[in-house]
Amino acid sequence: MSDRKLPRLLQAPAVILLLIWMLVPLSMTLYFSFIRYVLNNLRRPEWTKPLPSNWRGFGNYEFVWNNKDFWLAIQNSLLIVGSIIILTVTLGILIAVLINRAFPGRGIVRVLLISPFFVMPAVNAVLWINMILDPVLGLQGLAVDGINQLIVSLQTAPGVGWFFSLWPQLEPISFRATQTSAYAVIIMVTWQWTPFAVLIFMTSLQSEDQQQKEAAILDGAGAWSQFRFLTLPHLGRPIAIVVMIQAIFHLSLYAEIEIVSRGNGNKNLPYLIGEFANNNIGAASATGIFAVILANIVAIFLLRMIGKTLME
Amino acid sequence: MGRIVLDKVSKSFGETEVIPPLDLTIEDGEFAVFVGPSGCGKSTLLRLIAGLEDATSGKVIIDDEDVTQVSPSKRGLAMVFQSYALYPHMTVRKNIAFPLRMAKMSQSEMNQRVEQAAGILNLADYLDKKPGQLSGGQRQRVAIGRAIVREPSAFLFDEPLSNLDAALRVGMRLEIGELHQRLKTTMIYVTHDQVEAMTMADKIVVLQAGVIEQVGSPLELYRTPRNRFVAGFIGSPKMNFIGGDEAAKHGAHEIGIRPEHIAVANGSGAWSGVVGVSEHLGSDTFFHVHDTGLAETITVRADGEVSLNAGDRIDLAPREDVIHKFDAQGMRIA
Ligand SMILES: Nc1ncnc2c1ncn2[C@@H]1O[C@H](COP(=O)(O)OP(=O)(O)OP(=O)(O)O)[C@@H](O)[C@H]1O
Ligand SMILES: [Mg+2]
Repeated sequence: MSDRKLPRLLQAPAVILLLIWMLVPLSMTLYFSFIRYVLNNLRRPEWTKPLPSNWRGFGNYEFVWNNKDFWLAIQNSLLIVGSIIILTVTLGILIAVLINRAFPGRGIVRVLLISPFFVMPAVNAVLWINMILDPVLGLQGLAVDGINQLIVSLQTAPGVGWFFSLWPQLEPISFRATQTSAYAVIIMVTWQWTPFAVLIFMTSLQSEDQQQKEAAILDGAGAWSQFRFLTLPHLGRPIAIVVMIQAIFHLSLYAEIEIVSRGNGNKNLPYLIGEFANNNIGAASATGIFAVILANIVAIFLLRMIGKTLME
Repeated sequence: MGRIVLDKVSKSFGETEVIPPLDLTIEDGEFAVFVGPSGCGKSTLLRLIAGLEDATSGKVIIDDEDVTQVSPSKRGLAMVFQSYALYPHMTVRKNIAFPLRMAKMSQSEMNQRVEQAAGILNLADYLDKKPGQLSGGQRQRVAIGRAIVREPSAFLFDEPLSNLDAALRVGMRLEIGELHQRLKTTMIYVTHDQVEAMTMADKIVVLQAGVIEQVGSPLELYRTPRNRFVAGFIGSPKMNFIGGDEAAKHGAHEIGIRPEHIAVANGSGAWSGVVGVSEHLGSDTFFHVHDTGLAETITVRADGEVSLNAGDRIDLAPREDVIHKFDAQGMRIA
């Protein structure tokens, strides 16, 4: 037994530090979620102190559960995370397979492909919403305007004018409107995180066994069958990694939502926590605990799904 | 059917010509072995036949049909790779069935063929395991199983046994030999191990730097090597080469004699020397003899009973009728 003591003693600082690191914030959140605790209240000044006498039981949870934005926030969290994951994984696999072949300028193309990942999230959001997605001044507005002008000019053309006069005027989409702001967030985060997926998949593709491919060619497998039966199973684990990491990161998206719509109609759980935390720490903590539960459900669900479909 | 003809086939990778134009015919049902030192182009030649590499010039003809431009899967050949190249995510059953699945065969026929192949190769107990759970020999058998279910017109093996240990190699060598007798399908087998070549082949093709040095049956190559390279490559231990006066006595630039054709004589040999290292195999003993005045060392095969120590003097009696003579270009003098 004594020869076990020293290693344990030496491990102890790291383990204790890790426990403090994780347990202290978690237990504080748990504690706050069961008391009345606000930052500012003139009529009930005793609520501004985190005292056990302010015990509220599950009152905060009930309050959050019945908040009109709570279910919207959960749905939105799932919509945003799910869509981003599906899009980045699909695009990532496509791009990685394409640039895995040799072609002139491959090095430059790879560097360019990775670069969105180095843009700061807030900058990314500002650029997209103002310069690209803006219905008047952004690329979107300009493009829609250009197409409309082209159609108008074609309407007066001899012979085919009648055909184009039946076409409708195109309307630019406002991505700051309530529902569409979630799509804007999905688009910009997908753009930023696809390089991450590409990078991981590309590394994995380079370790793919070439003789297996040759064996498959001789066995009569076409390009699609090789992809389906060799490449995709080979990418199973990297896909699982990309999905898990992105699920962790995107469940806590905040900056993009703040910049695109300031939470107008498009909130996710972190944004809701942020709104509560302006004053009601108890409710914010309860929402935080809901977020932890949601994250765990998502994680278990994803692990099962990926394990089943890809590992055969 | 499976008659394979290479008609002036050559292969270059960029500037370097790996295989100069070459002609070769492999008859239907034949077991042909390509041997040669590492890097001489054996694999490249096999891949040219399989269609995994495009010929730079010349024609590949299978059963009187020019298949040079035909895709690998349409050539009706099956290949077994050195690394086995099994599909790691599929069970053994799925691995073996894969070519049939690609050919859109019915499930019942697929099962029947897989069971049959598994029976031939003793794989029935492993059908539901993944390749990662099998030993090297079992994996090799799965790779062969995947090849035979397709009923190809010829099998191509690229050093299939080189990852196995010595005992297993001898066992698998026999199994492949038996498989050939049973299926009577053309097989082309690449190896750099001349023992494998000698024991398995109907026809050996000796290659050096992409050039065919000699084609013939194992015994033809052993008895009448066309040149010094083949003489040195076929046979184990290597043939002894002797130049200088001794060669001149036989009217040659250089003579060669195999270790098994030199007898240990007691006091009355044509040659004599001092014993260096002895290798005892039990049945035979190989003596490496120095200070003969003929060559650096002369290797001699003696009976396992003969016992001599390092430093002992030894008299050698070469068999005159099996001395090989070579001219200055290394070609055989009849
Ligand atoms: N894709 C390639 N590109 C350039 N050179 C190649 C390529 N493949 C093979 N070579 C060259 O062709 C020559 C023959 O290679 P090959 O693989 O056919 O040799 P081998 O006889 O099979 O050798 P080994 O016994 O080591 O397997 C080698 O010199 C090798 O460097
Ligand atoms: Mg090779």
